[in-house]
Amino acid sequence: MSIQIKNVSKRFGQFTALDQIDINVDTGELIALLGPSGSGKTSLLRIIAGLEAPDHGSILFHGENITSVNPKERGVGFVFQHYALFRHMTVFDNVAYGLKVRPRKTRPGKQEIKEKVKELLELVKLEAFAGRYPSQLSGGQRQRVALARALAVEPRVLLLDEPFGALDAKVRKELRRWLRKLHDEFNITSIFVTHDQEEALDVADRIVVMNQGKIEQQGSPEEVYEHPVSPFVYDFLGNFNLFHGRLKEGGLDYGQEQAEGERGSEPLKAVGYARPHDITIHREDIGGECIKAVVHYIHRVGPVVRIELKRIDTGEFLESEMMKEVFKELKLDAGEQVYIKPRELKVFIPEDYSI
Amino acid sequence: MAGHVPMTYGETSVSRKTVKGGSPLIKWAAISAALGFLLLFLVLPLMAIFVQAFEKGLAAYAAAVSDKDALSAIKLTLIVAAISVPLNAFFGIAAAWAITKFHFRGKNLLMTIIDLPFAVSPVIAGLIFVLMFSSHGLFGDFLFRHDLKIIFALPGIVLATIFVTLPFTARELIPLMQSQGSAEEEASMTLGAGGFQTFWRITLPNIKWGLLYGIILCNARAIGEFGAVSVVSGHIRGMTNTMPLHIEILYNEYQFSAAFAVASLMSLLAIATLVIKSLLERAGKEQAGIKELKE
Amino acid sequence: MNKKGKGRAGRKGVLPGFGLSLGFTVFYLSVLVLLPLSTIFINTAGMGWEKFFKTIFDPRVVASYKLSFGSSLIAGGINTVFGILLAWVLVRYQFPGKKLIDGLVDLPFALPTAVAGIALTTLYVPDGWIGRFLGFKVAFTPLGVIIALTFIGLPFVVRMVQPVLQNLEPELEEASASLGAGRAQTFWRVIFPELLPAALGGFALAFARSLGEYGSVVFISGNMPMKTEITPLLIMTKLEQYDYAGATAIAAVMLVISFILLLVINLLQWWSNRRYLEN
Repeated sequence: MSIQIKNVSKRFGQFTALDQIDINVDTGELIALLGPSGSGKTSLLRIIAGLEAPDHGSILFHGENITSVNPKERGVGFVFQHYALFRHMTVFDNVAYGLKVRPRKTRPGKQEIKEKVKELLELVKLEAFAGRYPSQLSGGQRQRVALARALAVEPRVLLLDEPFGALDAKVRKELRRWLRKLHDEFNITSIFVTHDQEEALDVADRIVVMNQGKIEQQGSPEEVYEHPVSPFVYDFLGNFNLFHGRLKEGGLDYGQEQAEGERGSEPLKAVGYARPHDITIHREDIGGECIKAVVHYIHRVGPVVRIELKRIDTGEFLESEMMKEVFKELKLDAGEQVYIKPRELKVFIPEDYSI
Repeated sequence: MAGHVPMTYGETSVSRKTVKGGSPLIKWAAISAALGFLLLFLVLPLMAIFVQAFEKGLAAYAAAVSDKDALSAIKLTLIVAAISVPLNAFFGIAAAWAITKFHFRGKNLLMTIIDLPFAVSPVIAGLIFVLMFSSHGLFGDFLFRHDLKIIFALPGIVLATIFVTLPFTARELIPLMQSQGSAEEEASMTLGAGGFQTFWRITLPNIKWGLLYGIILCNARAIGEFGAVSVVSGHIRGMTNTMPLHIEILYNEYQFSAAFAVASLMSLLAIATLVIKSLLERAGKEQAGIKELKE
Repeated sequence: MNKKGKGRAGRKGVLPGFGLSLGFTVFYLSVLVLLPLSTIFINTAGMGWEKFFKTIFDPRVVASYKLSFGSSLIAGGINTVFGILLAWVLVRYQFPGKKLIDGLVDLPFALPTAVAGIALTTLYVPDGWIGRFLGFKVAFTPLGVIIALTFIGLPFVVRMVQPVLQNLEPELEEASASLGAGRAQTFWRVIFPELLPAALGGFALAFARSLGEYGSVVFISGNMPMKTEITPLLIMTKLEQYDYAGATAIAAVMLVISFILLLVINLLQWWSNRRYLEN
């Protein structure tokens, strides 16, 4: 089932939650809507599910406009952030609910329901918990019940709202991998909302980065991570260092020592971004645009060593990451003076600037 | 228990912007049915009281409420409330302190006993004091020999009223203080405050709205109690007649307008109680809200 | 040196006043509640089983039990249905005058029962505001008793159900809708079971209150023996005839029933907490 989101806008009073959103989701894709809170990602998910109506625009399932179709007839499975399990029903009854509420004509028989639920509970590895109430389960187990409940109605589309948000780090990683596996087996078109970039990069086929009701960028995890199109995306997808400087031909002039006003017109100020693992540290000045800095602090735990540095010229702090072996070769100590160079610098040119 | 439902604190009413309201037909049918029910059972009786009270004109109304027996009934009612309400408020604070600040065995039993008066019929509440203090009662001989009168006198009325209204403040304060915990009091003690200072400066400001709420309800019931007082009063006009008993006598003597005139005074008091009550609820919620914000 | 004292502080917490507050509480309850209530059982024990049973199974007394139980059950039922409806309307809908209505619901808690009694009677007598439109008699019949008890028990279910409804997550209904349930199915299968423990609790409270109610009923019931005489009134009547033993015996029966009800209410709460509430 493919999903098309066409020109969807939504306002809550003065607040614009979604501003002209267009997304195409192919059949069987697993998409992550990634963004900070208030970016509109959850509103979009709820509009796709039919829990909210858009002010403008339309939602198409498989080419069919379903914008005004009731949620109960859309055939979506929705997994809620806090699971929204029915606490007065056992795990079995929760999963069976969607089958039991069908009109008599399409409702499966009792035995059939029983088998189907058993199958789903096996899938989520909770066969032994069928008779328990939600309050007797751990967070991860509840999450799996919520997923089984959503899958029971054989949805055409699976929507997950911050599916792992309320779980602790270890369980979260486990469930993440499991969700990916499940998706590969069932191949249901799925969209999940998250604010955790690691989660999105890890699980999704494609990531849609959202900010203030707009799409900042969409693409594969590699694309989005390696080639962010805006400072926001760069910022949201990981740690970074800032280099303030001026634009020059072929790059950014970020050293402080260069004289100002050399070129004819006033050079445009710009900011360069570099990931910590792209900052190299050298004992000597290797030419090019090396910057002098002092090693401020060294975090040695784990295979990757993080080094905090302080620029001598501007006093700004920078962060570098390197493998332990590289670090051992360099033999760095706190307080030492070194030369640093960004291996790769991403400069976002302001829109009104043309070269 | 059977008497009132404690007010709820700091409830966060979930925003419902997204739940679809259903058809407007169902909405208005539900509202009409609910309001019709209230009209029939609450609004009409309330209106009837005032209409009947003024049926014979203002002069008759004024005469009924300034009648000598009516005035003495009002005075007695106020005296009874002035004694029983503070006693029960004090009891409520002590009981809530013991129950919420300490661990001890039998706590649940103690709470059930506090609830008992709400489960007992007011008539039985009167009866038990008759069984204790009337001339045939447990202490009858003793009282007779010392020429003490409890039943058919003020002390009996006060005892019955205390019994009936005993749980109100305790029932209000226990859940409130439970939800607040003891951390603030403990902090106060570690900062060098004494027990009484801690109570006065920390606990009391935190529970003031809940306490007032309990007192208001306790007071309304104390003033309006009929069954229990009816058993122990002896119905001596101008002596042991409270306002509700006075209304009964007037009504049974077919002095309907006079009965409703006194009843209208009590209804005004009830309305005032409701207004104060909803103000206190708001204040209590705000206080709870502020606390949550601070956290 | 002062080890014993320290150990105690550790167990009881650092706050003072345990002995004083608990001592006062127990003393107050003993003198004002337990001792007086025990006189009922002391006096009953003194009257002998034969006389006791004869009193409590006297046809007139049995008729009063039937009336009290029957009308309390019906009134409680009416209040449960309308209580849920009222709570629903007050939580889910916006309409003018809502705050006023919300406040008015508590009127039966604040209005003296005798005042309520005479007001309801004037409305429902054959030539009263409501009575004149009805083709049948209400005042001075068991119907009148039900009316009075409905008034008395009105706030209980509303006030128990209202907070539960207010705190119900909207996601539950959304989950139900996304799984294909219609609005009616969602109400009966998801919302109603959530409200049920609170509604049952409110019903039990209203029922317990109604059983013992006196003031609002005696005016409207007409107090005819065997027909419209409630049990608390019978106790009153026996007392006025100086039949203390008879009054006490009936009171003992009512007390035992009240205790059982109290137990049931506590069990109900314990059961619903244990089953679905988060630990």
